[in-house]
Amino acid sequence: MGRPAHPQAMAPSRPGSTRTAPPELPGQFPFAGRYRGYTLFAWTGVLYLLLGFLVLRVVWALGESPQAFDSVIASFRNPLYIVFHLLALVGVCFVAVRFFWLFPKAQPPRIGPAKPPPQPVILAMLYGLWIGVTLLLSAILAGVLF
Amino acid sequence: MQGLLLKLEPLIWLVFGQGIMLGTILLTGWLLVVGVAAPLGLVEPLGYERAHALGSNLIGRLVLFALIVLPLWKGAHHTRHISIDMGGGDRDAAVAPLLYALAGFGTLLAALAVIRL
Repeated sequence: MGRPAHPQAMAPSRPGSTRTAPPELPGQFPFAGRYRGYTLFAWTGVLYLLLGFLVLRVVWALGESPQAFDSVIASFRNPLYIVFHLLALVGVCFVAVRFFWLFPKAQPPRIGPAKPPPQPVILAMLYGLWIGVTLLLSAILAGVLF
Repeated sequence: MQGLLLKLEPLIWLVFGQGIMLGTILLTGWLLVVGVAAPLGLVEPLGYERAHALGSNLIGRLVLFALIVLPLWKGAHHTRHISIDMGGGDRDAAVAPLLYALAGFGTLLAALAVIRL
């Protein structure tokens, strides 16, 4: 297996004689037109990064002691945490809707001998999985199941 | 460092993609109950005994590990791209290793956290 190509591998060693315009940002970037969704989708990365560490804090406390765990769970009653979690919930739902909308369109026409299912079927499967797992996990965490 | 990042790119894209897909699917229920409904008093908050019983078996550990690690890598990779889009590629040599190191450190702590349950 060869080495990965350097990103500038195809760049000419000297500037060519053809003049090119300097790169510039599109006029609608970052929050107008079709860039709004793209930019917001990428900004959810900050939310996910924080959420990952927040869940880590809960799990770490769970392994520490009952007092540490109860203290972390109690801290979530702070209005700032509730606002953050609500914002994160909106962000996570936005990521789901946007990604599920994109996913069927990004499928290749064929995967080996098989054709992927029609786009509406893929979409229904993704939404079914999302809603199903969310209901199951919510029921378990809320003490309705198990 | 850029060479190493290029070598790791398939792995980073794998966990980034699963962070969007599985991370989102898992986070929704967690946020609904642990982040919103329980603090608002709509459902009973998760008690230690029950949480430990749910989280300390193999499936529980795997779910908790995924719930931490996948959002971290999705977050790190998307935040890297926001940094490039907003500030140009010049800073990427510093930003990308920093964000991936943060996600890597979180992954290590997540592994320790689920092992010690």
